[in-house]
Amino acid sequence: MHTVKVSHIAKSFGDVKAVTDVSFEVERGEIFGLLGPNGAGKTTALRVILDIFKPDSGTVSILEGPMNDEKKSRLGYMPEERGLYQDITLERCLIYLGTLKGLSKDEARQRAEKLLESFDLADHKTKKVKELSKGMQQKAQIINTILHRPELIIIDEPFTALDPVNTQMVKDLMEELREKGATIIMCTHQMHQVEELCDRILLMDEGKDLLYGNLNEIRKQFSGHAVLVRSNGNLPSIEGVVGIEEHNSSTKLNLDDGINPQDVLSALLEKNVILEKFEIAVPSLDEIFIQAVEEGKQT
Amino acid sequence: MNKTLAVLRFELITIFTRKSFLFLAFGMPIITFLIFQVVGAINRNDPNAIDDIIGSSQGVDSDGFVDLGGLITTHTEEIENGMLVPFTDEASASQALDAGEIVGYYLIPENVSESGKLIYIRPDFNPLALEDKAWAIEILVLTNLLGGDIEMAQRVWVPMDLEVTLLAPPKQQRDDSSPITFLIPYITTMIFYMVILGSASLLLNSIAKEKQNRVMEVLMLSISPREMLTGKIIGLGIAGLTQTLIWTSLGYILLKLSGRSMSLPPGLELPVSILVWGLVFFLLGYAIYGSLMAGLGALVPNIKEATQATIVVIFPLIIPMILQSALIEKPFDPPAIILSIFPLTAPVAMMTRLAGGGVPLWQPFLAAGLMLLTALIVIRAVVRLFHAQTILSGQPFKVGRFVKAIVRGV
Repeated sequence: MHTVKVSHIAKSFGDVKAVTDVSFEVERGEIFGLLGPNGAGKTTALRVILDIFKPDSGTVSILEGPMNDEKKSRLGYMPEERGLYQDITLERCLIYLGTLKGLSKDEARQRAEKLLESFDLADHKTKKVKELSKGMQQKAQIINTILHRPELIIIDEPFTALDPVNTQMVKDLMEELREKGATIIMCTHQMHQVEELCDRILLMDEGKDLLYGNLNEIRKQFSGHAVLVRSNGNLPSIEGVVGIEEHNSSTKLNLDDGINPQDVLSALLEKNVILEKFEIAVPSLDEIFIQAVEEGKQT
Repeated sequence: MNKTLAVLRFELITIFTRKSFLFLAFGMPIITFLIFQVVGAINRNDPNAIDDIIGSSQGVDSDGFVDLGGLITTHTEEIENGMLVPFTDEASASQALDAGEIVGYYLIPENVSESGKLIYIRPDFNPLALEDKAWAIEILVLTNLLGGDIEMAQRVWVPMDLEVTLLAPPKQQRDDSSPITFLIPYITTMIFYMVILGSASLLLNSIAKEKQNRVMEVLMLSISPREMLTGKIIGLGIAGLTQTLIWTSLGYILLKLSGRSMSLPPGLELPVSILVWGLVFFLLGYAIYGSLMAGLGALVPNIKEATQATIVVIFPLIIPMILQSALIEKPFDPPAIILSIFPLTAPVAMMTRLAGGGVPLWQPFLAAGLMLLTALIVIRAVVRLFHAQTILSGQPFKVGRFVKAIVRGV
């Protein structure tokens, strides 16, 4: 059963076509990545899904049908930056927004206290939101999004302003929520941040869907015939290797057709090369995106 | 309902804990009171101090006159008490003027009985100087034109003493000679304008801020526009009423503390009904203007533009302010009646008339009924335009777009 089903949505603002034609489905209990560079139309697509914007054409089904007031309490949405009252204390802000999601005041307070504790914000709960750092505000927004334990979580640019420790904490939290059965749509231009998190993705560019499907399959589709190797000495010449290029701290060996990685590994071991790393070269999402855009321009 | 109450409670607590609200509610009346106390104290020590500050002269106030044609044979009371000083020729009058014994002098020409023309000579430029004193020379000339018959002159001056017997049911009588008759409607106009505008502006600010913080996106995905607007309108309306209540109570307490009292002339006691009408017209006026302001808040992209666009909404409320003299001086003429019944001008115009007294009962009832109808239509229209698509469009504010959005919502 699909939690979200989007069919050929389009949305323009005056002469600007923010979303031209986008279709995708989000399955229950998965982390879905809505990815693309800035200005790709991701946020507009999200707002159409959430019924914040009416699409010019196309249809959206969310939690099995069109959006209504009852469904609002079943989803959590975190807009990109801000989204909290600035002039009131963090605790009061969270409790108020929690009660609007259907929690009782006590329930909202108890849950907020727990989450503030786990997000290291308990000491700041009596501060006004505007007095918190950007990173703290981002964490507070995440708390607000999950406070009422929604079935569907939609977060726009979740890693903005977070340091590596907090980024990892948010990633762990997303995985934990998925394990508990929540469906998560993450919208970000920081594609490298969600590579290991997402089950499936939609890669958008200029308002259109560029790539869509299972992340591993997309990677396979874009992985060249190559291996990444790192050794403690110079690499000897190996039969079947048609190109060598430096790739971060490794060497990327492009293989001839008919040569498989196993043959290359055997050849290296036969020549007594001490290997520190040997892996099939899988492109990063950034690389896939660039490749897909270039291919799109050529066709 | 729970969510509406949550919004209401949140808005009330937020506004009541805001420093600017506390200052406006408590600080302003106290500061105003203190200013009046200081001015009062200065006045008690030196009665002319305030006049000195504003430049009014407390010295010589007599005028002279030179009778060039020998018309003046009978002297009136004004000559006896020194308001008018006779001179035999212009040279001596001019000399007295230079010496500061008079502030100016009249030349009464020979043919005054035919032409009616007099010349007034005064050294300074003050076109208003004659406003409150010309009657003295008028009565003197009139008396002498009538052959010195003072009683006849007084009869011509005030030809009749009209006694009116009203056959209609008794109603509040206006004493046009009392400044209070005009002061109370003026004050009522100002208070109603300020309170309705102040409360409605709270709504505009609240929504414009939520848009700026992007909390609006979160709110739109948590509650329905109707729940949100209802909670805000009621909550901020209570805040506005509370502020008025604080002002009134503080005003009363401070007046008592200062040992003064405000006594109204007999026949102009403010009836209890005016308080009830006040509450009705405040609530209905606030519902209309608050909703319109909320609609404005939904359309403007930021607080700065919201403030600039406010004039579009409040313009009908300003009309009674502009025409308040007509409303107060001719409260039963058709323009005053129309303004006090038309729903957008009624909250201020009707209260101005009610404060003056004598308004037939059907008029406030009709005005209140029309305002209730308008409030319901406006609230419905604003709820409809309160869709996130409109709120988050980010387009600049245009009057046409606002009117279209409201009309579409109706």
